[in-house]
Amino acid sequence: MSGGEEILKVENVVKRFGGITAVNRVSFNVRKGEILGLIGPNGAGKTTLFNCITGVYRPEEGRIVFLGEDITGLQPHVIARKGIVRTWQKVRPFKKMTVLDTVTVGALLRTNSVTEAKRKAEDILKFIEFPEDKFEVMGKEITLIEHKLVDLARAIATEPTLLLLDEVAAGLRPNEMERLASILKKVNKERNLTMIVVEHVMRFVMGLSQRMIVMHEGEKIAEGTPQEIANNPRVIEAYLGTKPL
Amino acid sequence: MALSEWVRESRKYILGTIILVLVLAFIPFIIGFDQYLLLILSTAAIFAVFVVAWNIIGGYAGQLDLGAFAYIALGGIVAAQLLVVYNITPWIGMFVGAGVSAVLAAAIGYPTFRFGIKEVWYALLTAALVVILNNIFHLPEVLGSLDHYLPPANGWYYLKFPVYENIYWFILAMLAIVVFINLWVSKSKVGYYLRAIREDELAAEALGIDVRKYKLEALVLYAAILGFMGYVYIVIAGTYSYHTFDSPHSIAIAIMGIIGGLGSIAGALTSAITLKVVEEYLRASIGATIPGIHLLIYGLLLIIIGIFKPDGLAGIYESLKKRRTSGRKKISGGGNP
Amino acid sequence: MMDPILVTNNVLDGLLMGLLYSLVALGLALIFGVMDIINFAHGDFVMIGAYTAWLLAMAFWVDPSVTAIITVPLFFIIGIGIYKLVIEPVLGAEPLIQIAVTVGLGYVFQNIALALWHAEPKSFPAPWLNFSISAGGITLSVAKLIAGGISIISLYLIHYMLTKTKFGLAVRATSANREVAPLMGINVKKVYAITFGIGTALTALGAALYMSWGQTNPYLGQSFSLLSWVIVAMGGLGGVIGVLYSGLIVGVLEALGSTFITPSARLAVVYLAFFLLLWFRPRGLFARR
Ligand SMILES: Nc1ncnc2c1ncn2[C@@H]1O[C@H](COP(=O)(O)OP(=O)(O)OP(=O)(O)O)[C@@H](O)[C@H]1O
Ligand SMILES: [Mg+2]
Repeated sequence: MSGGEEILKVENVVKRFGGITAVNRVSFNVRKGEILGLIGPNGAGKTTLFNCITGVYRPEEGRIVFLGEDITGLQPHVIARKGIVRTWQKVRPFKKMTVLDTVTVGALLRTNSVTEAKRKAEDILKFIEFPEDKFEVMGKEITLIEHKLVDLARAIATEPTLLLLDEVAAGLRPNEMERLASILKKVNKERNLTMIVVEHVMRFVMGLSQRMIVMHEGEKIAEGTPQEIANNPRVIEAYLGTKPL
Repeated sequence: MALSEWVRESRKYILGTIILVLVLAFIPFIIGFDQYLLLILSTAAIFAVFVVAWNIIGGYAGQLDLGAFAYIALGGIVAAQLLVVYNITPWIGMFVGAGVSAVLAAAIGYPTFRFGIKEVWYALLTAALVVILNNIFHLPEVLGSLDHYLPPANGWYYLKFPVYENIYWFILAMLAIVVFINLWVSKSKVGYYLRAIREDELAAEALGIDVRKYKLEALVLYAAILGFMGYVYIVIAGTYSYHTFDSPHSIAIAIMGIIGGLGSIAGALTSAITLKVVEEYLRASIGATIPGIHLLIYGLLLIIIGIFKPDGLAGIYESLKKRRTSGRKKISGGGNP
Repeated sequence: MMDPILVTNNVLDGLLMGLLYSLVALGLALIFGVMDIINFAHGDFVMIGAYTAWLLAMAFWVDPSVTAIITVPLFFIIGIGIYKLVIEPVLGAEPLIQIAVTVGLGYVFQNIALALWHAEPKSFPAPWLNFSISAGGITLSVAKLIAGGISIISLYLIHYMLTKTKFGLAVRATSANREVAPLMGINVKKVYAITFGIGTALTALGAALYMSWGQTNPYLGQSFSLLSWVIVAMGGLGGVIGVLYSGLIVGVLEALGSTFITPSARLAVVYLAFFLLLWFRPRGLFARR
C-alpha cells in the first residue's frame, strides 16, 4: 500500500486571511489507495487546506498537483470533475430535495441519464447503510448525523479518485463511529478510493489511517504512521496547548 | 434525456397538462364566446405562460428574476417592428424576438453570473434592467413617447384576429409547450443541477456542477420563451411603446411564481390563472370604486404566504397529498414493519 | 457643446438631490446592515410619507417640510409596528422570502394610496419654498437647498448617534455579530425594532422635504427603492460617509444623464452605472474593508 504512486502533491501552499496565515507553507503527498489522516487542534488550518485543494480558495503561494497536472486555482467544479471531491464540516444540505435526489445530483457528474444516476444513488445509499425508509425524505427533515451520511454519499456518487472528508464522524456515538469506520474502509477497498480524513476523534482516525499528518497554527508539524504520530513530542505539545519548540 | 424516457417518466403530468389545456380550450363554448371574458382568459393564460417560464429561472435555479418584461417587451417589439416596417410575418418575427431576448439575457447573464451576483443584487439588477430598457426605448430615436399600433389587417399571417378565441387557443397551445419544456427541464439532468444550485451553490459546484453555465442556460431559456411570447402580449394589449417595459408587471410575475411555490409547475399554473382571473374580476366588480384593490390583495397574500407558508401553493398541495397518503396507510393497517 | 453654466447648474442641482437620496438610503442601509433584512418596500415608505406630509400640509396650510415635526415621530412608531407585524417573522429567512414579504408590503402601500388618492399626482399648491435664487448665472431651488441642508444635518446626527452614543454602540455591536451581542447585555430584538423605526422615520423626513417642491403618486416609491438600493450597493455598508458619497454620485449621475441625454433617460444612466458597479466592484466603492 505504501508503495502506491503519488496522486496528489501539495507543495508549499500558503493561504492568508488578513493578518492570520491559516495555511503556512504546507507540503505533503497522497498515495494512491491510502487513507491519510489529517489532524490538528481547532483553527489549525485543516478546513482551509481542503478549501485550497478543492478550489474554494486560491492559495496565495504554492502548487497543488493532481495526477501530474497543476490544478492550483482551478474552479471547484473543474477540480471535482478531475476527481477530487469533499464533504463539509459545516453541513450544506439540499433542504428542499429528497435524500435520493441529493445523491443523484452527485451521480449525474458521470452520466447524463437520470434513471441510471438514480439507480447508482440508491446503490450507494444502501452501501453506506443509510436507512431505506428515508430515501424519499426532504433534506430539511433529516438529522445532522444523517446529513453527514448523505454528504458522504453524494460525494462518493461522483466517483472521485480522491475523497476529502472533513469531520464526518463528529457527533457520532462510539458504536456509530465504528460502523462508519468500517464503511469507509469498505469504500476505500472496494472502490479503490483514496481518502484524506480530517477528524478530531483520535481513536477514529488512528484506526482508519495508514499514514497521518498533523497541522498546528497553519503549519505541518508532523507526518508518519499513527504509531509515530502518537509518540511524537511536538504533536503532544501542540495538543496540550504549550508552544511547540 | 431521451424523448422516450422523458415521456415514460412524465406520462402522468403530460396527460394532466393535455387534459387541463383541453378543458381550458373548451371554455369559450361555455361562455358563448363572450369577448370580454375571452380577453380576461387570454390575459390569464399568457401570464400563466410567463409564470411557468419564470419557474425555470426563479423556481428551479432559485434566481429572483424581476426582469420578465425586459424580455417580453424586447422580443415583442422586435417582432412587431418587423411586421410594421418590413411586413415580415410574426411567425418569423417571434423567433427573431426570442433570439434577440435570448442574446440580451446572455449578455447580461454572463457577467452577472461570472461575478457571482445573486440574491438581492440579482433581483435589483434585473429590476433595473427593465427601467433601463424602458428609458432607452423612450428616446425619440427609438420609439419615442408615442403608442405604436400593429397593422389593422387581421388573419393568421398577422396572428391577430377581430375576435379573441383564436389568440386564446394559440396561447393555450403555447402554454402546453412551455409546461412540457418545464417538465423536461425538471426531469432531466439540468433540472437536478438547477435545483442543487438553488439549494446551495457552493455545495453544487463542489459536486462538479458548472454553476455559471447552468444558471446562464436557465436564464437564456426563460428569456427566449418570454421573447417569443412578447408579440402575442402586444396583440392582446393592442399597442406597444416604451411602457411595454413594465416594472410592476415584471414583479407581479415573480410574485405569482412565489405564491405558486418555487419549482412547482402546478403551483405556478394555479397561481397565475386564479390570481389573474380574480384580479380582473375584482377590477371589474369593485375596481371602479376602489382602484388597486386586487393588487392590495396580492400584497397581503404575499405577506401571509411569506410568513406562514413559504412553500406557497405547492406546499399546500404537498401537505394535502401527505395527509391523503398517511390516511390511506392507516386504513390499510400500517406501513412498513 | 453644452453651456458650461447650465451643466454646473444641473450638477449642483444633482448634488442637492443626492443629499436627499443619501438621507433616504441611510435608512435602508441601517436596516440592511444591522438586521440583514432585504427591504424592497423602503421607497414605498417614502411614498406614504409624501402623502402624509401633503395631507398635513393641506390641513394646516403649512409648507410640507414643516410637517416633518409630526411625520418623523409618527413614522418611527409606524416603523416599529410594521417591524413587529411583518419583519420580525422573517428575520433570518431566505432572501427570497424577505423580498417576497417586503414586495407584498410595498404592493399594499401602493394600492392603499391608489385607493385613497387615485393615480393623479398630488403636490402642494402654494410654492412658499418652491422658488429659486440666482447668483452668477446659477439658479437653485430654495426648497432643495433647505432639503439638502437638513439632510446633511440629519446624516451628521445619525453618524454621531452611531459613533458616540451607547445606543449606537449597541447597533454597531449587533450589526458586527448578532450572536455575540446578546452576551454583552444587548437586547437584539429591541435594537432591531428601534433601527427599523429610525430607518422608517428617515423616509418620512426625506418625503416631507421632497414635497416642498415635488409631487407624489402611488408609484413614487419604486424609484426611491431602487435608487436607495443602488446607493447601498455603492456605499458597501461603509457607514454614513459611504452612503453620503454614494448618494451624491447618484444625484450627479442623474443630473448628467438628464443634461446630456434627456430627462427621461436619467434613471437609465444611474442603473447602467449600477450594473458596472455590481460587475466590477461588488463590494461597493466605499467598503470598509
Ligand atoms: N473565511 C475565513 N475568513 C477569515 N478567517 C478564516 C476563514 N476561514 C478560516 N479562517 C481562519 O483560519 C484559521 C484556520 O481555520 P480552519 O477552519 O481551516 O481550521 P480547522 O483546522 O479546520 O479548525 P477546526 O478543527 O475548528 O475545524 C482559523 O484561525 C480561522 O479563524
Ligand atoms: Mg475545520
